[in-house]
Amino acid sequence: MAGEADPRWAVQVDGLWERFRIAGDRPPTLKERLFTFRRAEYRQFEALKGVSLRIRHGESVALIGHNGSGKSTLLKCIAGILPADEGSVRVDGRLATLLELGAGFHPDLTGRENVYLNGAILGLTRREVDGSFAAIVDFAGVGEFIDTPVRNYSSGMYVRLGFAIAVHVDPDVLLVDEVLSVGDAAFQERSLARMRGFVERGKTVVLVSHDLGAVRALCRRTVVLDHGRLVFDGPTDDAIEAYEELVAGGAPPPEPEPDPVGPARTGDGGARIVDARLLPAVDGARPSGTTAQLVVSFTAEEAVREAGSLSLGIAVRRPDMALYVYETRTAWRGIYLAPPRPGATAAVTFTLDLAVLTGEYLVDLLLVNASTGVIHDRWQEALGFTVTSPEHDFGVAALDARIGVANPDGFWPAELHAPPPERGGPREHPLREDRPSPGHEPDVPRVDPALAR
Amino acid sequence: MAVRTTPPRTLLSSGELLRNLVAKELKVRYKGSALGFLWSLVTPLLLTGVFTVVFATFLRIPLGEGNFATFFLSGYLVWQFFSNSVNSAVGAIVGNGALIKKVWFPREVLPLSLVLSQGVHFGLALLATSPLFIWQRGVHLEAIPAILLGFLLLTAFTAGVAMVFAGLNVGFRDLQELTQVIFLAWFYLTPVIYPLYTVRESGAQWAVPFVLANPVTWFVELFHAALYGTPVAVGPNPPPHWPDATTWLVCSAWAVAALAVGTVLFRRWARTFAKEV
Ligand SMILES: Nc1ncnc2c1ncn2[C@@H]1O[C@H](COP(=O)(O)OP(=O)(O)OP(=O)(O)O)[C@@H](O)[C@H]1O
Ligand SMILES: [Mg+2]
Repeated sequence: MAGEADPRWAVQVDGLWERFRIAGDRPPTLKERLFTFRRAEYRQFEALKGVSLRIRHGESVALIGHNGSGKSTLLKCIAGILPADEGSVRVDGRLATLLELGAGFHPDLTGRENVYLNGAILGLTRREVDGSFAAIVDFAGVGEFIDTPVRNYSSGMYVRLGFAIAVHVDPDVLLVDEVLSVGDAAFQERSLARMRGFVERGKTVVLVSHDLGAVRALCRRTVVLDHGRLVFDGPTDDAIEAYEELVAGGAPPPEPEPDPVGPARTGDGGARIVDARLLPAVDGARPSGTTAQLVVSFTAEEAVREAGSLSLGIAVRRPDMALYVYETRTAWRGIYLAPPRPGATAAVTFTLDLAVLTGEYLVDLLLVNASTGVIHDRWQEALGFTVTSPEHDFGVAALDARIGVANPDGFWPAELHAPPPERGGPREHPLREDRPSPGHEPDVPRVDPALAR
Repeated sequence: MAVRTTPPRTLLSSGELLRNLVAKELKVRYKGSALGFLWSLVTPLLLTGVFTVVFATFLRIPLGEGNFATFFLSGYLVWQFFSNSVNSAVGAIVGNGALIKKVWFPREVLPLSLVLSQGVHFGLALLATSPLFIWQRGVHLEAIPAILLGFLLLTAFTAGVAMVFAGLNVGFRDLQELTQVIFLAWFYLTPVIYPLYTVRESGAQWAVPFVLANPVTWFVELFHAALYGTPVAVGPNPPPHWPDATTWLVCSAWAVAALAVGTVLFRRWARTFAKEV
């Protein structure tokens, strides 16, 4: 179990795993159970594989993904219907689920009796149902049928009544699974309006839907699930694009733009890079701000020794941003290299300050004739490395902001979350919502004590 | 605003839901039937008639100057409450799978609502047959508190057993069929058609511990005392009276134990009901 309860989040899911047992082909018969104690055979099925998700108060988030990707399972875990097998789920506030409308209706009872029964199942008191009864009947539009057993309802009326009860629970956190598409067009319009009302009143909404139109209309943020993993979390338009790519290709998660320069090795081979390594050698990521030495060794053929000096270049890229971060060549620094004798190897060391932020970096190498520009060896993606930086910054350059605040009212107490806009709170979320790696928002505001007065 | 880690509603705050579910059970049962509640009297009255003829007349269960019909009925109503409750509760979780998968609520309310609605039947049946008891056994107001308290203990015991059966049935679906068989045998192990003293005085002394180890025996004996009196072989049977201390003690112990064990086990199993139903 990770993480303390934190009232800034309406929903806090950390490293959630959900496993189901699927019965084997042949369940044991009673005789086998009693006499040979053969247990049923089960296969483990992982419906959620380490999902982490944080949702702010008042945020509306959509969950999309292919059939069986685990959307309903995640919603049920948030609702407390399914226990977390690993990880933790926390919800702050009164919660209501619209998972299946009219679950718990009894066909022999009248609409009125079912409203009270279903209300009680959803956690309403009799008085609360009394208070919204007229509104429920009105919203469902079942009119004079309210005192008829629901067995005589059309299937549309049935789910409309179920929907009407559920949306009158007035929760802080509303979980909706695939129910906006019930009923006729007019009812769908009204349900959508009702949901929008929820969002506008600052309620937290988690919506599962295959109706991408409804997703666009209701949620600015969307999460894409794929085979039980969270593969995208960001603005709805980007998420839908990622999801459509996923569906079209059946391919793994939305890779960023394909790299414009493919991995390749070209050149006339008159001189050749034989080795390139980054020292010190580390397993995994290098901390931002440390230094590293890029050691490149090369050989040359006899013919090249006549042709003039060589220049060795390096280029560092961020492929996910299609960005050249840094490039240099020995010649640019006034260093011209004599081609080594055949059989001998020359080595050049570049000492680099890794003043960059979290990300994957690739290094391209280039060995050219300094005067003619003839390319002897161009080695794309000769090596790569990973950098991690503190989680509160995002981008490429480690500009490392120090923050000074001049505000007579001081800081917002950490234990409170900001009020909604209509009560003077911030208009926008203070943090970017489209960060590529979700779940890494800073836990404390980073303030330079020297500047904070 | 409170931060919750578990679903916020407990059984205590679900009284409303429990009340609604009991009302549903009762309404559904009697909706559209002309005789309504009287139907639930048909079985005990018919059996009373049949057993009175068979056991009191043909087989001659010795009851002295007592009355077999009221003796049988006072025990059978207890048995019927217990048996109907557990037999309906055993499928309560599996049968409500759709609901359990979609909504969170304390799962205990499902078996408990069935037990409580059977409790309502029990109460109504007692009221409906009270003229028979008064006619045959006389008015004994001092027995009324014993009936109420005994009913409380019986309900607690039944609720515990019902929860265990309902929970076990999720992993072991055969239990539903098995329960009917178990209860058929259990019935004959309970002194409903025969007075307990006939076992003690019979040649089969080995059977006594079995009958006494059966908790339902004690509840039946409690109601025999409070509703019928003391069955004896010869002479007048003593009228209804306050049950003795041993009976109270044993019934209380069974009630507390069953309710505690049932609740603990059921709560533990309930976490994964939504996965397995
Ligand atoms: N009770 C269960 N027992 C076994 N497997 C289950 C159970 N519930 C869900 N699963 C499996 O978990 C996976 C995820 O199911 P889930 O219902 O969350 O998918 P979904 O994303 O909601 O799909 P859909 O878009 O079809 O609604 C599926 O492969 C499903 O078979
Ligand atoms: Mg689903």
